[in-house]
Amino acid sequence: MSNPVIKFTDFYYGYINSDVILKDINFAIKQDSFTVIAGPSGAGKTTMCKAMVGIVPSYYGGRYAGNVEVLGENIKEKKVSDLAMRVGIMLDDYESQLVSLTAGEEVAFSLLNHGFAPSEVEDRTKKALADVGLPGRENYQLDELSGGQRQRLLLASVLAIHPEILILDEPVSALDPDGAKSLYELIYKIYKQHNMTVVVVEHDLNSVLQYATDLIILDKGTIVAQGPFAQAAKITYGYPALRENLPELWQIKFDLEKRFGIALGEWRNEAAALAELAEKFKGGQGL
Amino acid sequence: MIETQAVNFAYRRGEPVIFDISCTIKDGEFVALLGHNGSGKTTLSRLFMALDHPRSGRVLVDGNDIAKLEPADLADRVGYVFQNPDLQILEDTVFDEVAYGLRCKKMTEEIIKKQVKDALSAMGLEDLADAYPRALSFGQKRRLGVAAALALQPRTLILDEITNGQDEQEKEDMMDYLLKLNKEKQITIILITHDMNIARKFTKRVLVLNDGNLVFDGETAALFDGSKDIEQWGLKQPVLSQLGAKLGITALTPEEFCQKVSLKVGEKQ
Repeated sequence: MSNPVIKFTDFYYGYINSDVILKDINFAIKQDSFTVIAGPSGAGKTTMCKAMVGIVPSYYGGRYAGNVEVLGENIKEKKVSDLAMRVGIMLDDYESQLVSLTAGEEVAFSLLNHGFAPSEVEDRTKKALADVGLPGRENYQLDELSGGQRQRLLLASVLAIHPEILILDEPVSALDPDGAKSLYELIYKIYKQHNMTVVVVEHDLNSVLQYATDLIILDKGTIVAQGPFAQAAKITYGYPALRENLPELWQIKFDLEKRFGIALGEWRNEAAALAELAEKFKGGQGL
Repeated sequence: MIETQAVNFAYRRGEPVIFDISCTIKDGEFVALLGHNGSGKTTLSRLFMALDHPRSGRVLVDGNDIAKLEPADLADRVGYVFQNPDLQILEDTVFDEVAYGLRCKKMTEEIIKKQVKDALSAMGLEDLADAYPRALSFGQKRRLGVAAALALQPRTLILDEITNGQDEQEKEDMMDYLLKLNKEKQITIILITHDMNIARKFTKRVLVLNDGNLVFDGETAALFDGSKDIEQWGLKQPVLSQLGAKLGITALTPEEFCQKVSLKVGEKQ
């Protein structure tokens, strides 16, 4: 197994004046993996993302136990700003993360704050905008960009710092299915190109089925399943109340496997499922 | 009842976006309005609520020309939940937010209390009555928008992408509640959505818009029976209709699908 880039050990957390949100969290995220975190609303997914970059607890306060190691360092010993140069995060409420008037200033903002030379800032800004499909838009006002474009702009600002890990909290929640599909295609392209580790919180696993290498399922603040996608999905299927978090294709896969005592492929898209079902089903004779 | 007669619309200085649409949504219907991004779904629904006015043609609500209805009268008949919940939030607590419309209507505090409570519990927000609305999660804010519309008990509810950002259970709960409202109180529901599964599972009739034209108006089951090329309109067949069409099975849930596969195999053996 490749090195873990994020490691939670016996981690507990509660916000100020709230119950414990995350309990007994132990997991490791492998380098170069595309890990998806899923689970019902209120399970603690967003809090876990915030703990990966240290803003929980540094910014939020609250009660904290256990250890979080990111890129080999204990985040308790690091400043959030140091970590920010190695780990990029895009929050679900992405509009709140935009701070500038123009697209170019937005991407340059964190670079300038970290003291990069102007020529370097310019180069990186240009490159990052091109990477997300907004080439040459440096001088566009933010309100000239559509919602989907603003979201890609934010992704560009995160990419411009050249993070080793990219954390995305429900990146497509405000997009329509076409927009969601193209944003995930873009994220996957960047993931492959830059050999990054990607961690995505996503409740609609259908949209990341093609890409996910690993899966973590959270429910009520604890981890129910974790591991390589197929393995963790299978564990999740064992909990009837959590089944509907799985992609529909995989709900069908596990159900048919159980009914007929067979093994079906690890379908990553409809075409694969259709091909295998049509072949096995043979108009009702097979299976 | 909402009726459009040969409606055309263009935003100021812009290209036309709605072309010659005529349709009737009768009392008590549960209709989905589908279409790709930019197809004109939200624009058309804004015409139903007189948030914009057609360039030509007419919109009638309960037989009245909408251009001549008083806003308060229209608001009694049609409730609208915006796609972006932030646009709708006015007050400092969840309770006051839902009570806002009722207070505008000069209801007594007693009635307000009851209707707000009912609307909040329908949307699973009863424990958050004192919370600050802008601090809620995105999904909670959406439900708050629905609760605020519900509290006014309109005859027709137009809901723009309300299931976005909700988990599966929350979606089901929300839709079950709307279905109940539709069945028991005959409230007309117009659901604007990108979620083909939701449309397929919960609505009887769909209207499909493509680039401002009404390209399909008919039964939901007919749209998703696998025989239509709905991709030309920027829509996607749900997984279950794709698999179902291939195997000759109609099912609304993965479980039902597998049961039917199982039955079919059993019959043959």
